Amino acid sequence: MTSTELNELDIATPTVVVAAARDFAASLAETSQFQAFEQAAERFRQDQAAQQAMGAYQEKQIAWRGLIMLNALSAEQRTELESLKNAFVNLPIVEEYFKAQSELATLCQTVGDAISESIGFNYAAACGESCCG
Amino acid sequence: MQTVLSPQLQEATQSLIDNLLASELFMHYQEARKLINEDSEARPLMERLSNSQATVRQQQTSGSVGQAEVDSLRLIQQRVLRNPVILDYAQSQQEAVDFLREINAEISQLLGIDFASFAKHATC
Repeated sequence: MTSTELNELDIATPTVVVAAARDFAASLAETSQFQAFEQAAERFRQDQAAQQAMGAYQEKQIAWRGLIMLNALSAEQRTELESLKNAFVNLPIVEEYFKAQSELATLCQTVGDAISESIGFNYAAACGESCCG
Repeated sequence: MQTVLSPQLQEATQSLIDNLLASELFMHYQEARKLINEDSEARPLMERLSNSQATVRQQQTSGSVGQAEVDSLRLIQQRVLRNPVILDYAQSQQEAVDFLREINAEISQLLGIDFASFAKHATC
């Protein structure tokens, strides 16, 4: 057997890599952080008060998008927007959701960093959209 | 605070890394990266490109871009585009990134979240 043939045996086919990715996803799905996030997300989706508070905040954000971008909101508009935001983010169910999201993100960042260090480039940057537009 | 991974997740992560690195596209990328680092022409050329780009960016910021620096950058860019070691590296990196995106899509579909977005450190 030549060294080329040996090397070919060592190559992981795309099917094998996808299978490893599926096993990885299954392991991540079993973590307490992921399960807590799923439960918090479901409670958030089902909570009418949280959905209404989010809708009211987003509605104003969209309506005043231009003014927000130009930093041209009046003092009254700024106060109203801040009040709608606080009414939304201070709801216990929303706080729980953001906390669970943050804890899952910390776990994913740890795993992503480990993958990035090994493969030679930043996993999240390579796969994700730029946050800066 | 350091997040401790469960043994199961640690093992699954390592298996994913090992399989990615053993895939044809990543092996090609690692080989091309090794070649570019060892190549006596390609590596200095990449460094010159990076330095020249930084200088022009700096001049653009201060509003005084020099024609000589722009001409020099164009010349280096032309040499980079003719260098087979650099071209192979760039192509292999793009192919590895495309494959990684497919793998991320697979993971994300199973989880119901975009894994890469969660793995991204907040920067802005």
